[in-house]
Amino acid sequence: MSVAPDFYLAGPSWLHAADPRAKLLLLVLTVVLLLVFQNLWVMLAAWLLMLIVHRSAGVPKERIVFLLRALLPVTILMPLIWVIFYPAGEVIISIGFIDIHGESLAEGLTVALRIQAMTFAIFALLFTTDTDTLMQGLVRLKMPYSWGLMLSLALRYVPNFANSYSSVQQAQQARGLEYESTRGLKRVREMMPVLVPMIIGSFRSSEQMAIALEARGFGAPGVQRTYLNVIHMRAMDWAIVTVGLLAAVALLVLNIVYGFGSDLISIFP
Amino acid sequence: MAEIETQNVSFSYSEAGDVLRSVSLQIRRGEFVALIGQNGSGKTTLAKHLLGLLRPREGKVVIQGDDIRSKAVGEIARRVGYVFQNPDHQIFSATTREEIAYGPQNLQLQEAEIVDRTKHAMDRFNLTAHSERQPATLSHGIRRKVALASIYAMDPRIWILDEPTGGLDWRSTQETMALLHELNEAGKTIVLITHDMQIVAEHTERCIVMSEGQVVAHEATRTVMERSETLGITPPQAWKLGSALDLHPPPLTVEAFCRNYGEKLAAGRGISVGRS
Repeated sequence: MSVAPDFYLAGPSWLHAADPRAKLLLLVLTVVLLLVFQNLWVMLAAWLLMLIVHRSAGVPKERIVFLLRALLPVTILMPLIWVIFYPAGEVIISIGFIDIHGESLAEGLTVALRIQAMTFAIFALLFTTDTDTLMQGLVRLKMPYSWGLMLSLALRYVPNFANSYSSVQQAQQARGLEYESTRGLKRVREMMPVLVPMIIGSFRSSEQMAIALEARGFGAPGVQRTYLNVIHMRAMDWAIVTVGLLAAVALLVLNIVYGFGSDLISIFP
Repeated sequence: MAEIETQNVSFSYSEAGDVLRSVSLQIRRGEFVALIGQNGSGKTTLAKHLLGLLRPREGKVVIQGDDIRSKAVGEIARRVGYVFQNPDHQIFSATTREEIAYGPQNLQLQEAEIVDRTKHAMDRFNLTAHSERQPATLSHGIRRKVALASIYAMDPRIWILDEPTGGLDWRSTQETMALLHELNEAGKTIVLITHDMQIVAEHTERCIVMSEGQVVAHEATRTVMERSETLGITPPQAWKLGSALDLHPPPLTVEAFCRNYGEKLAAGRGISVGRS
Protein backbone atom coordinates (compact mmCIF):
# COMPACT_ATOMS: atom_id res chain seq x y z
CA MET A 1 0.00 0.00 0.00
CA SER A 2 1.36 3.41 -0.87
CA VAL A 3 1.85 5.70 2.08
CA ALA A 4 2.47 9.43 1.85
CA PRO A 5 5.55 10.28 3.94
CA ASP A 6 3.79 13.43 5.18
CA PHE A 7 0.89 15.73 4.26
CA TYR A 8 2.92 17.65 1.68
CA LEU A 9 1.80 17.65 -1.96
CA ALA A 10 4.38 18.98 -4.38
CA GLY A 11 3.09 21.62 -6.79
CA PRO A 12 3.91 24.80 -8.69
CA SER A 13 1.32 27.11 -7.05
CA TRP A 14 1.90 30.54 -5.49
CA LEU A 15 1.34 29.03 -2.04
CA HIS A 16 3.97 26.36 -2.65
CA ALA A 17 6.45 29.01 -3.75
CA ALA A 18 5.77 31.29 -0.77
CA ASP A 19 8.25 31.42 2.11
CA PRO A 20 7.10 29.34 5.11
CA ARG A 21 7.41 32.40 7.38
CA ALA A 22 4.96 34.33 5.17
CA LYS A 23 2.58 31.36 5.26
CA LEU A 24 2.91 31.05 9.04
CA LEU A 25 2.07 34.74 9.41
CA LEU A 26 -0.99 34.30 7.18
CA LEU A 27 -2.04 31.33 9.29
CA VAL A 28 -1.72 33.25 12.56
CA LEU A 29 -3.65 36.23 11.11
CA THR A 30 -6.38 33.91 9.80
CA VAL A 31 -6.79 32.18 13.15
CA VAL A 32 -6.92 35.54 15.02
CA LEU A 33 -9.52 36.91 12.61
CA LEU A 34 -11.60 33.74 12.79
CA LEU A 35 -11.63 34.05 16.58
CA VAL A 36 -12.48 37.76 16.54
CA PHE A 37 -15.37 37.62 14.07
CA GLN A 38 -18.69 36.24 15.31
CA ASN A 39 -20.88 36.59 12.23
CA LEU A 40 -22.32 33.57 10.45
CA TRP A 41 -22.00 35.11 6.97
CA VAL A 42 -18.44 36.31 7.55
CA MET A 43 -17.58 32.81 8.74
CA LEU A 44 -19.20 31.34 5.64
CA ALA A 45 -17.18 33.75 3.47
CA ALA A 46 -13.99 32.77 5.33
CA TRP A 47 -14.82 29.11 4.80
CA LEU A 48 -15.35 29.67 1.07
CA LEU A 49 -12.12 31.68 0.91
CA MET A 50 -10.23 28.75 2.45
CA LEU A 51 -11.66 26.41 -0.19
CA ILE A 52 -10.57 28.86 -2.91
CA VAL A 53 -7.07 29.03 -1.37
CA HIS A 54 -6.85 25.23 -1.43
CA ARG A 55 -8.02 25.00 -5.01
CA SER A 56 -5.71 27.85 -6.12
CA ALA A 57 -2.83 25.89 -4.54
CA GLY A 58 -3.76 22.87 -6.64
CA VAL A 59 -4.90 20.72 -3.70
CA PRO A 60 -6.83 17.81 -5.27
CA LYS A 61 -10.57 17.54 -4.65
CA GLU A 62 -10.05 14.15 -2.93
CA ARG A 63 -7.93 15.77 -0.22
CA ILE A 64 -10.56 18.47 0.35
CA VAL A 65 -13.29 15.84 0.53
CA PHE A 66 -11.11 13.86 2.95
CA LEU A 67 -10.82 16.90 5.24
CA LEU A 68 -14.54 17.63 5.03
CA ARG A 69 -15.32 14.01 5.85
CA ALA A 70 -12.89 14.02 8.79
CA LEU A 71 -14.59 17.17 10.10
CA LEU A 72 -18.10 15.82 9.59
CA PRO A 73 -18.65 14.76 13.25
CA VAL A 74 -17.73 18.28 14.46
CA THR A 75 -19.83 19.87 11.73
CA ILE A 76 -22.87 17.92 12.89
CA LEU A 77 -22.12 18.02 16.61
CA MET A 78 -21.63 21.78 17.00
CA PRO A 79 -25.09 22.88 15.74
CA LEU A 80 -26.64 19.99 17.70
CA ILE A 81 -24.97 21.03 20.96
CA TRP A 82 -26.00 24.67 20.52
CA VAL A 83 -29.57 23.76 19.58
CA ILE A 84 -29.99 21.38 22.51
CA PHE A 85 -28.02 23.06 25.31
CA TYR A 86 -28.04 26.78 24.47
CA PRO A 87 -31.55 27.67 23.27
CA ALA A 88 -31.72 31.35 22.23
CA GLY A 89 -33.88 33.43 19.91
CA GLU A 90 -37.13 32.47 18.28
CA VAL A 91 -38.22 28.92 17.64
CA ILE A 92 -38.01 28.38 13.89
CA ILE A 93 -39.05 24.74 13.80
CA SER A 94 -40.02 21.96 16.24
CA ILE A 95 -38.96 18.39 15.67
CA GLY A 96 -40.73 16.16 18.19
CA PHE A 97 -39.96 17.54 21.64
CA ILE A 98 -36.95 19.54 20.43
CA ASP A 99 -37.47 23.21 19.61
CA ILE A 100 -34.90 24.58 17.23
CA HIS A 101 -34.10 28.19 18.04
CA GLY A 102 -32.81 30.26 15.14
CA GLU A 103 -30.03 31.97 17.08
CA SER A 104 -28.76 28.71 18.55
CA LEU A 105 -28.65 27.07 15.15
CA ALA A 106 -26.79 30.09 13.67
CA GLU A 107 -24.32 30.04 16.59
CA GLY A 108 -23.69 26.31 16.18
CA LEU A 109 -23.20 26.71 12.42
CA THR A 110 -20.81 29.63 13.01
CA VAL A 111 -18.69 27.54 15.39
CA ALA A 112 -18.68 24.60 12.97
CA LEU A 113 -17.64 26.85 10.07
CA ARG A 114 -14.94 28.48 12.25
CA ILE A 115 -13.45 25.07 13.13
CA GLN A 116 -13.58 24.02 9.50
CA ALA A 117 -11.99 27.25 8.26
CA MET A 118 -9.20 27.00 10.87
CA THR A 119 -8.51 23.38 9.93
CA PHE A 120 -8.41 24.29 6.26
CA ALA A 121 -6.02 27.16 7.02
CA ILE A 122 -3.67 24.81 8.89
CA PHE A 123 -3.82 22.22 6.13
CA ALA A 124 -3.21 24.88 3.46
CA LEU A 125 0.17 25.27 5.17
CA LEU A 126 0.80 21.54 5.60
CA PHE A 127 -0.26 20.57 2.07
CA THR A 128 2.00 23.19 0.45
CA THR A 129 5.07 23.14 2.72
CA ASP A 130 7.39 20.17 3.02
CA THR A 131 8.42 19.43 6.58
CA ASP A 132 12.07 20.44 6.13
CA THR A 133 11.10 23.86 4.79
CA LEU A 134 8.51 24.31 7.53
CA MET A 135 11.06 23.41 10.17
CA GLN A 136 13.58 25.84 8.70
CA GLY A 137 10.93 28.56 8.69
CA LEU A 138 10.20 27.96 12.37
CA VAL A 139 13.88 27.89 13.28
CA ARG A 140 14.45 31.19 11.40
CA LEU A 141 11.63 32.60 13.52
CA LYS A 142 13.82 31.79 16.57
CA MET A 143 12.27 28.49 17.52
CA PRO A 144 14.99 26.14 18.91
CA TYR A 145 16.06 23.62 16.25
CA SER A 146 15.19 20.63 18.45
CA TRP A 147 11.60 21.92 18.83
CA GLY A 148 11.31 22.45 15.09
CA LEU A 149 12.60 18.95 14.44
CA MET A 150 10.17 17.52 17.00
CA LEU A 151 7.25 19.24 15.28
CA SER A 152 8.33 18.18 11.81
CA LEU A 153 8.82 14.57 12.91
CA ALA A 154 5.42 14.55 14.60
CA LEU A 155 3.77 15.82 11.40
CA ARG A 156 5.68 13.35 9.28
CA TYR A 157 4.59 10.45 11.44
CA VAL A 158 0.85 11.14 11.36
CA PRO A 159 0.29 9.30 8.03
CA ASN A 160 2.64 6.50 9.20
CA PHE A 161 0.56 6.19 12.33
CA ALA A 162 -2.61 5.88 10.24
CA ASN A 163 -0.97 3.20 8.12
CA SER A 164 0.23 1.37 11.22
CA TYR A 165 -3.33 1.46 12.61
CA SER A 166 -4.61 -0.24 9.47
CA SER A 167 -1.91 -2.95 9.60
CA VAL A 168 -2.42 -3.68 13.28
CA GLN A 169 -6.16 -3.82 12.87
CA GLN A 170 -5.81 -6.31 10.01
CA ALA A 171 -3.39 -8.44 12.06
CA GLN A 172 -5.90 -8.63 14.90
CA GLN A 173 -8.83 -9.26 12.55
CA ALA A 174 -6.81 -12.20 11.22
CA ARG A 175 -6.97 -13.57 14.77
CA GLY A 176 -10.72 -13.14 14.95
CA LEU A 177 -11.08 -9.62 16.38
CA GLU A 178 -14.56 -8.28 15.76
CA TYR A 179 -16.00 -5.12 17.20
CA GLU A 180 -19.30 -5.85 18.87
CA SER A 181 -19.84 -2.49 20.50
CA THR A 182 -19.73 0.87 18.77
CA ARG A 183 -19.30 3.15 21.75
CA GLY A 184 -18.27 3.64 25.33
CA LEU A 185 -15.83 1.75 27.51
CA LYS A 186 -16.67 -1.57 25.92
CA ARG A 187 -15.51 -0.27 22.56
CA VAL A 188 -12.30 1.05 24.15
CA ARG A 189 -11.71 -2.41 25.68
CA GLU A 190 -12.28 -4.02 22.29
CA MET A 191 -9.80 -1.58 20.78
CA MET A 192 -7.00 -2.55 23.18
CA PRO A 193 -5.53 -5.25 20.89
CA VAL A 194 -5.11 -2.50 18.28
CA LEU A 195 -4.07 0.38 20.54
CA VAL A 196 -1.44 -1.47 22.59
CA PRO A 197 0.71 -2.64 19.62
CA MET A 198 0.48 0.86 18.17
CA ILE A 199 1.67 2.48 21.41
CA ILE A 200 4.48 -0.06 21.83
CA GLY A 201 5.40 0.41 18.16
CA SER A 202 5.49 4.21 18.60
CA PHE A 203 7.83 3.94 21.59
CA ARG A 204 10.01 1.50 19.70
CA SER A 205 10.25 3.65 16.57
CA SER A 206 10.82 6.86 18.56
CA GLU A 207 13.68 5.15 20.40
CA GLN A 208 15.16 3.94 17.12
CA MET A 209 14.69 7.37 15.60
CA ALA A 210 16.53 9.00 18.52
CA ILE A 211 19.44 6.58 18.14
CA ALA A 212 19.52 7.09 14.35
CA LEU A 213 19.55 10.89 14.79
CA GLU A 214 22.34 10.81 17.37
CA ALA A 215 24.32 8.39 15.22
CA ARG A 216 24.20 11.00 12.45
CA GLY A 217 25.47 13.81 14.63
CA PHE A 218 22.26 15.33 16.00
CA GLY A 219 23.05 17.36 19.13
CA ALA A 220 26.78 17.49 18.41
CA PRO A 221 28.18 20.32 20.60
CA GLY A 222 29.67 23.46 19.12
CA VAL A 223 28.24 22.92 15.65
CA GLN A 224 26.76 25.70 13.52
CA ARG A 225 23.78 24.10 11.73
CA THR A 226 23.58 24.54 7.97
CA TYR A 227 20.79 23.64 5.52
CA LEU A 228 20.67 21.94 2.15
CA ASN A 229 18.05 24.35 0.81
CA VAL A 230 18.22 27.80 2.40
CA ILE A 231 14.96 29.77 2.42
CA HIS A 232 14.84 33.46 1.44
CA MET A 233 12.14 36.09 1.68
CA ARG A 234 11.57 37.27 -1.89
CA ALA A 235 9.63 40.26 -3.18
CA MET A 236 6.55 38.07 -3.61
CA ASP A 237 6.80 36.93 0.02
CA TRP A 238 7.05 40.51 1.27
CA ALA A 239 4.02 41.33 -0.89
CA ILE A 240 2.07 38.45 0.71
CA VAL A 241 3.09 39.63 4.20
CA THR A 242 2.16 43.24 3.44
CA VAL A 243 -1.21 42.40 1.87
CA GLY A 244 -1.99 39.96 4.68
CA LEU A 245 -1.14 42.46 7.40
CA LEU A 246 -3.03 45.32 5.72
CA ALA A 247 -6.10 43.17 5.17
CA ALA A 248 -6.02 41.93 8.76
CA VAL A 249 -5.62 45.44 10.19
CA ALA A 250 -8.42 46.75 7.94
CA LEU A 251 -10.77 43.95 9.00
CA LEU A 252 -9.92 44.46 12.69
CA VAL A 253 -10.54 48.22 12.40
CA LEU A 254 -13.86 47.56 10.67
CA ASN A 255 -14.73 45.13 13.43
CA ILE A 256 -13.69 47.28 16.39
CA VAL A 257 -14.79 50.71 15.09
CA TYR A 258 -17.84 49.84 12.98
CA GLY A 259 -18.86 46.51 14.52
CA PHE A 260 -18.38 44.68 11.22
CA GLY A 261 -18.99 40.98 11.76
CA SER A 262 -19.48 41.30 15.52
CA ASP A 263 -23.18 40.37 15.42
CA LEU A 264 -24.25 36.80 14.82
CA ILE A 265 -26.60 37.46 11.90
CA SER A 266 -26.33 41.12 10.79
CA ILE A 267 -23.07 41.97 9.06
CA PHE A 268 -23.21 45.60 10.28
CA PRO A 269 -25.26 45.78 13.49
CA MET B 1 -12.71 -28.81 -5.22
CA ALA B 2 -9.92 -26.30 -4.83
CA GLU B 3 -9.01 -25.26 -1.28
CA ILE B 4 -8.36 -21.70 -2.44
CA GLU B 5 -9.69 -20.20 -5.63
CA THR B 6 -9.70 -16.67 -6.99
CA GLN B 7 -11.73 -15.82 -10.06
CA ASN B 8 -10.76 -12.70 -12.02
CA VAL B 9 -9.94 -10.74 -8.87
CA SER B 10 -9.14 -7.08 -9.46
CA PHE B 11 -8.39 -4.56 -6.74
CA SER B 12 -7.09 -1.01 -6.36
CA TYR B 13 -6.20 1.00 -3.26
CA SER B 14 -6.84 4.29 -5.06
CA GLU B 15 -7.59 5.71 -8.45
CA ALA B 16 -3.89 5.39 -9.28
CA GLY B 17 -4.53 2.01 -10.90
CA ASP B 18 -5.22 -1.63 -10.19
CA VAL B 19 -2.86 -3.40 -7.83
CA LEU B 20 -4.42 -6.75 -8.77
CA ARG B 21 -5.51 -7.29 -12.35
CA SER B 22 -7.89 -10.14 -13.02
CA VAL B 23 -6.09 -12.70 -10.87
CA SER B 24 -7.36 -16.25 -11.27
CA LEU B 25 -5.74 -19.21 -9.55
CA GLN B 26 -6.51 -22.46 -7.80
CA ILE B 27 -4.63 -24.05 -4.92
CA ARG B 28 -5.50 -27.62 -3.98
CA ARG B 29 -5.84 -28.90 -0.43
CA GLY B 30 -2.50 -29.90 1.10
CA GLU B 31 -0.37 -27.97 -1.38
CA PHE B 32 2.77 -26.13 -0.27
CA VAL B 33 3.06 -23.16 -2.60
CA ALA B 34 5.30 -20.12 -2.72
CA LEU B 35 3.87 -16.75 -3.68
CA ILE B 36 6.77 -14.86 -5.21
CA GLY B 37 7.41 -11.69 -7.17
CA GLN B 38 9.16 -8.38 -6.88
CA ASN B 39 8.25 -5.76 -4.30
CA GLY B 40 4.96 -4.12 -5.28
CA SER B 41 3.90 -7.02 -7.52
CA GLY B 42 0.72 -7.58 -5.47
CA LYS B 43 1.63 -10.63 -3.38
CA THR B 44 0.53 -9.29 0.00
CA THR B 45 -2.53 -7.62 -1.53
CA LEU B 46 -3.60 -10.96 -3.02
CA ALA B 47 -2.88 -12.80 0.24
CA LYS B 48 -5.03 -10.32 2.19
CA HIS B 49 -7.91 -11.11 -0.16
CA LEU B 50 -7.72 -14.77 0.85
CA LEU B 51 -8.68 -13.80 4.40
CA GLY B 52 -11.17 -11.11 3.44
CA LEU B 53 -8.99 -8.32 4.85
CA LEU B 54 -9.35 -6.73 1.44
CA ARG B 55 -12.40 -7.20 -0.76
CA PRO B 56 -12.09 -7.49 -4.53
CA ARG B 57 -13.41 -4.68 -6.69
CA GLU B 58 -14.22 -7.31 -9.27
CA GLY B 59 -14.19 -11.10 -9.23
CA LYS B 60 -14.54 -13.44 -6.29
CA VAL B 61 -12.55 -15.39 -3.75
CA VAL B 62 -13.66 -18.92 -2.90
CA ILE B 63 -12.28 -20.70 0.17
CA GLN B 64 -13.14 -24.39 0.57
CA GLY B 65 -16.04 -23.94 -1.82
CA ASP B 66 -17.50 -20.85 -0.11
CA ASP B 67 -17.56 -17.43 -1.71
CA ILE B 68 -16.10 -15.32 1.10
CA ARG B 69 -16.94 -11.89 -0.26
CA SER B 70 -19.83 -11.42 2.16
CA LYS B 71 -18.27 -13.23 5.13
CA ALA B 72 -16.73 -11.47 8.14
CA VAL B 73 -12.95 -11.75 8.57
CA GLY B 74 -13.47 -13.33 11.99
CA GLU B 75 -15.48 -16.11 10.38
CA ILE B 76 -12.88 -16.76 7.66
CA ALA B 77 -10.11 -16.72 10.31
CA ARG B 78 -11.43 -20.08 11.56
CA ARG B 79 -10.22 -21.63 8.31
CA VAL B 80 -7.45 -19.31 7.16
CA GLY B 81 -4.53 -18.36 9.41
CA TYR B 82 -2.51 -15.33 8.36
CA VAL B 83 0.91 -14.70 9.87
CA PHE B 84 1.86 -11.08 9.27
CA GLN B 85 5.31 -9.95 8.30
CA ASN B 86 5.77 -7.86 11.43
CA PRO B 87 4.98 -9.71 14.68
CA ASP B 88 4.80 -6.39 16.51
CA HIS B 89 1.57 -5.59 14.69
CA GLN B 90 -0.25 -8.16 16.76
CA ILE B 91 1.46 -8.44 20.15
CA PHE B 92 -0.53 -6.65 22.84
CA SER B 93 -1.09 -8.97 25.80
CA ALA B 94 0.57 -8.78 29.20
CA THR B 95 1.87 -12.35 28.95
CA THR B 96 2.87 -14.71 26.16
CA ARG B 97 0.24 -17.19 27.32
CA GLU B 98 -2.55 -14.62 27.04
CA GLU B 99 -1.23 -13.52 23.64
CA ILE B 100 -1.46 -17.05 22.28
CA ALA B 101 -4.85 -17.63 23.88
CA TYR B 102 -6.33 -14.50 22.22
CA GLY B 103 -7.12 -16.17 18.89
CA PRO B 104 -8.80 -19.29 20.37
CA GLN B 105 -10.82 -16.99 22.66
CA ASN B 106 -12.09 -15.12 19.63
CA LEU B 107 -13.11 -18.44 18.12
CA GLN B 108 -15.29 -18.84 21.25
CA LEU B 109 -13.88 -22.24 22.13
CA GLN B 110 -14.52 -23.89 25.49
CA GLU B 111 -12.16 -22.77 28.26
CA ALA B 112 -10.53 -26.21 28.59
CA GLU B 113 -9.93 -26.28 24.84
CA ILE B 114 -8.34 -22.80 24.93
CA VAL B 115 -6.03 -23.83 27.79
CA ASP B 116 -5.13 -27.04 26.00
CA ARG B 117 -4.40 -25.37 22.65
CA THR B 118 -2.39 -22.58 24.28
CA LYS B 119 -0.25 -25.07 26.21
CA HIS B 120 0.27 -27.21 23.13
CA ALA B 121 1.30 -24.17 21.04
CA MET B 122 3.74 -22.98 23.72
CA ASP B 123 5.27 -26.47 23.92
CA ARG B 124 5.52 -26.75 20.14
CA PHE B 125 7.39 -23.43 19.85
CA ASN B 126 9.49 -23.81 23.02
CA LEU B 127 7.81 -20.80 24.55
CA THR B 128 6.87 -22.35 27.89
CA ALA B 129 9.80 -20.63 29.64
CA HIS B 130 8.43 -17.28 28.41
CA SER B 131 4.77 -17.98 29.16
CA GLU B 132 4.43 -15.38 31.94
CA ARG B 133 6.74 -12.78 30.37
CA GLN B 134 5.54 -9.73 28.46
CA PRO B 135 5.83 -10.80 24.80
CA ALA B 136 6.63 -7.25 23.65
CA THR B 137 9.89 -7.38 25.65
CA LEU B 138 11.11 -10.65 24.10
CA SER B 139 13.71 -10.75 21.31
CA HIS B 140 12.62 -10.34 17.70
CA GLY B 141 13.09 -14.03 16.91
CA ILE B 142 10.98 -15.10 19.86
CA ARG B 143 8.31 -12.52 19.05
CA ARG B 144 8.08 -14.13 15.62
CA LYS B 145 7.60 -17.49 17.30
CA VAL B 146 4.84 -15.98 19.47
CA ALA B 147 3.11 -14.72 16.31
CA LEU B 148 3.35 -18.16 14.72
CA ALA B 149 2.19 -19.89 17.91
CA SER B 150 -0.81 -17.59 18.18
CA ILE B 151 -2.01 -18.72 14.74
CA TYR B 152 -1.04 -22.34 15.45
CA ALA B 153 -3.38 -22.27 18.47
CA MET B 154 -6.26 -21.33 16.16
CA ASP B 155 -5.58 -24.48 14.12
CA PRO B 156 -6.61 -23.17 10.68
CA ARG B 157 -6.65 -25.52 7.68
CA ILE B 158 -4.99 -22.94 5.45
CA TRP B 159 -1.84 -21.06 6.46
CA ILE B 160 -0.73 -17.86 4.74
CA LEU B 161 2.66 -16.62 5.87
CA ASP B 162 4.10 -13.27 4.81
CA GLU B 163 7.91 -13.48 4.93
CA PRO B 164 7.95 -15.67 8.06
CA THR B 165 11.73 -16.09 7.99
CA GLY B 166 12.66 -12.44 7.34
CA GLY B 167 15.33 -11.34 9.83
CA LEU B 168 15.67 -14.80 11.38
CA ASP B 169 18.97 -16.59 11.86
CA TRP B 170 19.68 -19.88 10.08
CA ARG B 171 18.58 -22.10 12.96
CA SER B 172 15.29 -20.24 13.48
CA THR B 173 14.66 -20.30 9.72
CA GLN B 174 15.14 -24.08 9.68
CA GLU B 175 12.83 -24.46 12.69
CA THR B 176 10.16 -22.37 11.01
CA MET B 177 10.38 -24.33 7.78
CA ALA B 178 10.31 -27.63 9.71
CA LEU B 179 7.09 -26.47 11.35
CA LEU B 180 5.56 -25.62 7.98
CA HIS B 181 6.47 -29.07 6.66
CA GLU B 182 4.96 -30.66 9.74
CA LEU B 183 1.75 -28.68 9.20
CA ASN B 184 1.74 -29.55 5.52
CA GLU B 185 2.18 -33.25 6.28
CA ALA B 186 -0.79 -32.96 8.65
CA GLY B 187 -2.90 -31.87 5.64
CA LYS B 188 -2.67 -28.10 5.96
CA THR B 189 -2.40 -25.96 2.86
CA ILE B 190 0.56 -23.60 3.02
CA VAL B 191 0.93 -20.36 1.05
CA LEU B 192 4.33 -18.86 1.67
CA ILE B 193 5.19 -15.31 0.59
CA THR B 194 8.93 -14.94 0.37
CA HIS B 195 11.82 -13.38 -1.51
CA ASP B 196 14.23 -16.13 -0.44
CA MET B 197 14.67 -18.33 -3.50
CA GLN B 198 16.66 -20.89 -1.54
CA ILE B 199 13.67 -21.46 0.72
CA VAL B 200 11.38 -21.61 -2.31
CA ALA B 201 13.61 -24.15 -4.05
CA GLU B 202 14.16 -26.30 -0.99
CA HIS B 203 10.70 -26.34 0.49
CA THR B 204 7.87 -25.63 -1.94
CA GLU B 205 6.24 -27.81 -4.58
CA ARG B 206 4.73 -25.10 -6.69
CA CYS B 207 5.19 -21.37 -7.22
CA ILE B 208 2.79 -18.60 -8.03
CA VAL B 209 4.78 -15.81 -9.66
CA MET B 210 3.28 -12.33 -9.65
CA SER B 211 4.27 -9.31 -11.65
CA GLU B 212 2.49 -5.96 -11.83
CA GLY B 213 -0.67 -7.33 -10.24
CA GLN B 214 -0.97 -10.40 -12.43
CA VAL B 215 -0.15 -14.06 -12.02
CA VAL B 216 2.50 -14.67 -14.69
CA ALA B 217 3.25 -18.29 -13.72
CA HIS B 218 1.68 -20.96 -11.54
CA GLU B 219 3.76 -24.04 -12.02
CA ALA B 220 6.05 -26.58 -10.36
CA THR B 221 8.98 -24.90 -8.61
CA ARG B 222 11.46 -26.58 -10.97
CA THR B 223 9.60 -25.29 -14.04
CA VAL B 224 9.56 -21.78 -12.60
CA MET B 225 13.33 -21.95 -12.01
CA GLU B 226 13.82 -23.14 -15.61
CA ARG B 227 11.87 -20.09 -16.77
CA SER B 228 13.63 -17.79 -14.30
CA GLU B 229 15.11 -15.48 -16.91
CA THR B 230 11.80 -14.75 -18.62
CA LEU B 231 10.02 -14.46 -15.26
CA GLY B 232 12.66 -12.10 -13.83
CA ILE B 233 13.55 -14.40 -10.95
CA THR B 234 17.00 -15.10 -9.55
CA PRO B 235 17.33 -18.85 -8.93
CA PRO B 236 19.18 -20.12 -5.84
CA GLN B 237 22.96 -20.47 -5.83
CA ALA B 238 22.84 -24.28 -6.10
CA TRP B 239 20.78 -24.01 -9.29
CA LYS B 240 23.06 -21.36 -10.81
CA LEU B 241 26.22 -23.31 -9.95
CA GLY B 242 24.69 -26.57 -11.21
CA SER B 243 23.71 -24.89 -14.49
CA ALA B 244 27.18 -23.42 -14.88
CA LEU B 245 28.66 -26.90 -14.38
CA ASP B 246 26.23 -28.44 -16.87
CA LEU B 247 24.48 -30.61 -14.31
CA HIS B 248 21.26 -32.00 -15.75
CA PRO B 249 18.78 -31.40 -14.39
CA PRO B 250 20.11 -28.39 -12.43
CA PRO B 251 19.82 -29.01 -8.68
CA LEU B 252 17.31 -27.07 -6.56
CA THR B 253 19.12 -27.61 -3.28
CA VAL B 254 22.69 -27.73 -2.04
CA GLU B 255 22.19 -31.39 -1.14
CA ALA B 256 20.98 -32.19 -4.64
CA PHE B 257 23.95 -30.29 -6.06
CA CYS B 258 26.42 -32.32 -4.00
CA ARG B 259 24.71 -35.56 -5.01
CA ASN B 260 24.53 -34.73 -8.73
CA TYR B 261 28.05 -33.35 -8.81
CA GLY B 262 29.39 -36.37 -6.94
CA GLU B 263 27.65 -38.70 -9.39
CA LYS B 264 29.03 -36.78 -12.32
CA LEU B 265 32.56 -36.94 -10.91
CA ALA B 266 32.17 -40.64 -10.13
CA ALA B 267 30.99 -41.27 -13.69
CA GLY B 268 34.26 -39.69 -14.80
CA ARG B 269 32.57 -37.53 -17.34
CA GLY B 270 34.62 -34.51 -16.43
CA ILE B 271 33.33 -31.03 -15.79
CA SER B 272 32.94 -28.32 -18.38
CA VAL B 273 32.09 -24.87 -17.10
CA GLY B 274 29.20 -23.31 -19.00
CA ARG B 275 27.81 -19.83 -18.60
CA SER B 276 28.61 -18.07 -15.37
